[in-house]
Amino acid sequence: MANHVLLTSDDHRTLRITSERSAALGDAVMSCLIVPSEFRRVQNEYPILFRLTPQRDRFQALAMFGFEPGENLFLAGERSEARYRPLALEIQPFLIGHPATDGGDKQIHLDLDHPRVATGGEGVRVFDDLGRATPYLETIAAQLGELDAGWQASEGFFAALARHELLEPLTLEITLADGSTNRLVGYHGIAEERLQQLDTVALGELHADGYLLPVFMALASLANVAELVERKSRRGDLRG
Amino acid sequence: MDTAISKVVIVGGGTAGWLAACRIAAAARPSAAHPITVTLVESPDVATIGVGEGTWPTMRATLERIGIGEAEFLLACDASFKHGSRFHGWATGAADDVYFHPFTPPLEADARALVAAWQAEAAGAAFADVVTPQSQVAGQCLAPRQRSMPDYAGALNYGYHLDAGKLAALLMRHATERLGVRHVRDHVIGVDRTETGEVIAVNTRDTGAVAGDLFLDCTGHAALLVGDVPFIDRSDVLFNDRALAVQVPVAADSPIAAQTDATAHAAGWIWDIGLPTRRGVGCVYSSAHMSDDAALETLSAYLGSAEPITPRRLTFRSGHRDRFWTGNCLAIGLSAGFLEPLEASAIVTIELALDALLDDWPTRETMPLTAARFNTLFRYRWDRIVEFLKLHYVLSRREGRYWQDHRDPASIPPRLAELLALWQHRPPTRADLPMVDELFPAASYQYILYGMGARVPDPGPLRGGPLPSFGPIAQRTRGMVATLPPIRAYLDACRAASQPIAMEHMN
Repeated sequence: MANHVLLTSDDHRTLRITSERSAALGDAVMSCLIVPSEFRRVQNEYPILFRLTPQRDRFQALAMFGFEPGENLFLAGERSEARYRPLALEIQPFLIGHPATDGGDKQIHLDLDHPRVATGGEGVRVFDDLGRATPYLETIAAQLGELDAGWQASEGFFAALARHELLEPLTLEITLADGSTNRLVGYHGIAEERLQQLDTVALGELHADGYLLPVFMALASLANVAELVERKSRRGDLRG
Repeated sequence: MDTAISKVVIVGGGTAGWLAACRIAAAARPSAAHPITVTLVESPDVATIGVGEGTWPTMRATLERIGIGEAEFLLACDASFKHGSRFHGWATGAADDVYFHPFTPPLEADARALVAAWQAEAAGAAFADVVTPQSQVAGQCLAPRQRSMPDYAGALNYGYHLDAGKLAALLMRHATERLGVRHVRDHVIGVDRTETGEVIAVNTRDTGAVAGDLFLDCTGHAALLVGDVPFIDRSDVLFNDRALAVQVPVAADSPIAAQTDATAHAAGWIWDIGLPTRRGVGCVYSSAHMSDDAALETLSAYLGSAEPITPRRLTFRSGHRDRFWTGNCLAIGLSAGFLEPLEASAIVTIELALDALLDDWPTRETMPLTAARFNTLFRYRWDRIVEFLKLHYVLSRREGRYWQDHRDPASIPPRLAELLALWQHRPPTRADLPMVDELFPAASYQYILYGMGARVPDPGPLRGGPLPSFGPIAQRTRGMVATLPPIRAYLDACRAASQPIAMEHMN
């Protein structure tokens, strides 16, 4: 499926990336992986939940856009109504590439089969005619850098959450305006009681590592569940 | 006694007539005590002259008010985007003698500070290249907008190039099918007037008398209703009086030029307007300075084609009416006047006349006042256009009788001569062009003046405003060049997006 290549100004001089948002362009997803450094921006818009990887070996953080697979309640036709979109979504169709030799610089890779790779001549350019990076690519590179650093920091973050037992299973039961019930099962949230019981030494430690802020941001983000329900109910109205 | 003006009769169905019909019908309030009705009488015998194929940015507001979507307009009129005009060979005729007059004004700054900053930061670069991203965006044949933007919005200010015949056809369909305009296809054989000269009705061959309260003369050079009003000849200022026009097909995947190109020659200039399917090219010249044969040779040489060409021959006289609104009759379009198309002033003058009419819709009682005010305003505007066109010639340093005659002080309007004297010592400022809706604001004069290589005034003894920085312009240029699509790709995508709709209609 995926067709990953190294991005170079010679091979991709005239490449354009479609900037609209739509289901056809891969935006119809119910959630997106996020990194702790962006929790503050994410909590302004989406609920933040946690989930074990399919291998059940570690946790991941997610920004929630909907209640069922393929449902992005922020997507309106060819537009996104969200003020912030998580990094992992914004950087598509680009990826962080790892060099063949250890210790080399990280590279930018491109998924040539991604629907965002424009074919019709519209879209945002990645390089100018002289092969210099455009402001768009500069932004992408910065976002990839933040994402890469975020993945690396995630390990320590989740280790600290585990050490202090700050994650607990969470089942969200959501009743829509029409009375129907949706359940989000299999997710974890911040264990608020455990958090309140932490002593100052533990809190100081979490704070020193920069983990306390994202923990509180994740907690605060649950206020967005009500708005997500509201969006879901409105869609129902439109269909009815 | 009822004094409402409600029955509007438009005589003539070219660009002017149909624009007028659409604007008035779209602006009418159906629930008014005396709703406005619009009738357009168009002779089936008279071919229309497509006035100009370049518009100003004003056309976007006009189309929006009329209620036509931008994609529909672009496809129906074989239209494309216009960022401004590019002048080749006007200053010296040398190979590198080229400058751009963009539609987007320079970044907001005091005129003296702007020019001082240009000199301080980038004296080697062209004025237009430094103060707006537009010339560089146009240079790469990019559209001023993305399709996802709302209709008629752009990253830069822009107008259109279009097929004038197709525009008239689109406006006619829109007027008659959506706006309820009555279309009388009949030949006008006479005009009924009162003793004081007010028009009561136009008499037609088969439909009889078409009566109205207000008559718009959109009959072009024929000037059926206003022909008696004296014509003010401006050919003492603007010498060109002939044109040879050809159309050149273009390859379906070729880049589409994003500006009107105007290339000076020994006794006039050549226009070059790129549409998606063809280029319109024309040689404008002064018959007193160049023979028809020499003009044909000049045009052939420009086209660089070995094959003989058979251009359409046009003859015109630069000038305008002494009054445009007389009695209950208003001249709009070529009946009001014509000037060489150097700055594409034909259609915008029509639009401005309609704006003025609708901004101050007359009653029977106020019509003499409204007419007098209209005439004052449009005499001012025609004078300003004449002066602005003349500016392109007087700043030239080209040799030859034509160009020397253009610099003869006797041929330069006094007001322009005064301004030029002032501009030796300071840049054009807003106070030089004080009306609310100047056709050419101070910024346009700056673009021409410094594009033509006029001497940049010294800073002078007074302190100016804070010097603006051009850094943000360079940043915006980079961003726009990266995000704006080529015009060709934009229009192809428009066409592709409209296909399903067209098929639905067929079913």
